[in-house]
Amino acid sequence: MDLYRLFITTLRLEALLIYRHYSQVLNPLLFYAMTISLFPLGLSPQPQLLHAVAPGVLWIVALLSILLSLHPLFEGDFADGTLEQLLLSPQPLSIIILAKLLAHWLLSVFPLILLALLFAPLLHLPLAAMGTLFASLLLGTPVLLLIGAIGKALTLGIRNSSLLVMLLVLPFYIPVLILGAGSVALAGTGLAVTGELAWLGAMLVLALPLAPLAIAAALRVGIN
Amino acid sequence: MWLWFNKLTTSKVFYQFAGRLLPWLGALTIILLAYGLYGGLVLAPPDYQQGDAFRIIYVHVPCALLSMMIYVFMAVAAAVGLIFRIKLADMLVTASAPLGASFTLLALVTGSLWGKPMWGAWWVWDARLTSELILLFLYLGVIALRSAIPDREQAAKACAILLIVGVINIPIIHYSVYWWNTLHQGATLKLFGSSLIAPSMLHPLLAMIAAFIFYFAVVLLLRTRCEILKRERKSRWVLELKN
Amino acid sequence: MNHIHKQRAILIALIISCVAIAAGLALYALQQNINLFYSPSQIAAGQAPPAHEFRLGGLVQMHSVHHDNNSLRVTFGVTDNKNSVLVQYNGVLPDLFREGQSVVADGRLDSHNVFIADQVLAKHDERYMPAAVKTFLKQAKS
Repeated sequence: MDLYRLFITTLRLEALLIYRHYSQVLNPLLFYAMTISLFPLGLSPQPQLLHAVAPGVLWIVALLSILLSLHPLFEGDFADGTLEQLLLSPQPLSIIILAKLLAHWLLSVFPLILLALLFAPLLHLPLAAMGTLFASLLLGTPVLLLIGAIGKALTLGIRNSSLLVMLLVLPFYIPVLILGAGSVALAGTGLAVTGELAWLGAMLVLALPLAPLAIAAALRVGIN
Repeated sequence: MWLWFNKLTTSKVFYQFAGRLLPWLGALTIILLAYGLYGGLVLAPPDYQQGDAFRIIYVHVPCALLSMMIYVFMAVAAAVGLIFRIKLADMLVTASAPLGASFTLLALVTGSLWGKPMWGAWWVWDARLTSELILLFLYLGVIALRSAIPDREQAAKACAILLIVGVINIPIIHYSVYWWNTLHQGATLKLFGSSLIAPSMLHPLLAMIAAFIFYFAVVLLLRTRCEILKRERKSRWVLELKN
Repeated sequence: MNHIHKQRAILIALIISCVAIAAGLALYALQQNINLFYSPSQIAAGQAPPAHEFRLGGLVQMHSVHHDNNSLRVTFGVTDNKNSVLVQYNGVLPDLFREGQSVVADGRLDSHNVFIADQVLAKHDERYMPAAVKTFLKQAKS
């Protein structure tokens, strides 16, 4: 299986690269921790209130952190010319992109999910909702990353593009946020959440093959 | 046919063609608008539930319809432009984006004005309203992306990709009222089968929808002509036009 | 060339299978019926969340609207023609609020199974009819 080997090689290489610049990964995590702690301080530390807003806050801040973590994506490859080589190579670009994104997700987004689980009790999220929080982030964050990467690829080479990426990508994040935060809130009230999680799963399975195609097309536009 | 299409998409031919088409389209728009307004505001009887307040549908429905139609039009034009490398397609997309955004905003505002007395709230976060708001953001995103990329050809391609990805939102808007049983009512006009509106109210509505579509066509052609002149200002035929 | 063709075939097969799985999941999710409204029957069956905000949807029961004389307080029944729930609301009702019309109310159940509404919205249907036609229809019916 050639495709499999290509995928694994790219994944390991990309993981190594991210690992070498680990401070870049840590910054979104720090942002997550700090922003979450703003809410009890800014709104009110009242358990009743925090309990009500916790699902939304945990999800929204995770979404923003992912947006911020998009910045290094493709940027290094673009700067040192690796990206051009990748575009010229006969290997299928979408597989390479998928491997890169998986490395990014494993090293910088997955810790974010763990962090969300850690902060959930501080916001008085009921224990019953913890499993759903984990599952919904597990299904939802890859979708956010895949969509975000389209935005990042479209704006590659534009100076000060990080705000533009957010403007392009945020509308597409809304459905994921509604389903994700909605499922956690529902779980808190003890209701079934399989419907919401199935929707998130459907989005993920659809984004997995289609988003890399869009990213590949966008990268080709950016390089010309 | 293909040859004719190819010829039409060259800037100069399109400029002249649009110029000849414009007076006709303009006249049609005015006639339809006059009939639609008179029919909608004067001839049509008040609704049995809403009284005179229902008359906002004569603005709201055409705006909402156009907000989605223009997006699909832009996505199709952008895709055609991307595949066949037609420059005109990009000019049409550029000219349409602010129009689409305006119609979306108008649909939201008129809906909100109607919603306060009828539903009892300016705004509710139901699926129809939210997805229409997302559509507005998508339009603004396209405009922002275009203005951020200095190279015109690159901007056109990037916008095309963004537009094509955004098309997923259109069926969501349209079917939201059926899938999620929202506060927003279902479609009154049906392509197949009888509409759920009395004929005396229906005819002005259809006239208004047609008027809005022709109005869009008129403004689109005007803006595209401007864009052609701007981009080709150094070519000979434009200079000849000036003299 | 053959090699590249094979690779491409694998990729396309992967894409198609992913789309098929997504369609299956979406169908499953649609069956799960994500609840935006709870009907009075669902509340009677105990499916609505206790002590939590939710949305109630149904028709305003005929001859059930009762205005308090000294305040804006209103009580009315919401029914789905099988079961009904008593709703209490403190505020201005929308224009379209009539007996027999659809309404949506946000709020929670209290301990006596009375729905305490924070907001009452009138749901309009997609029919538009002149007032004269409506009275004519009514006469024809009676």
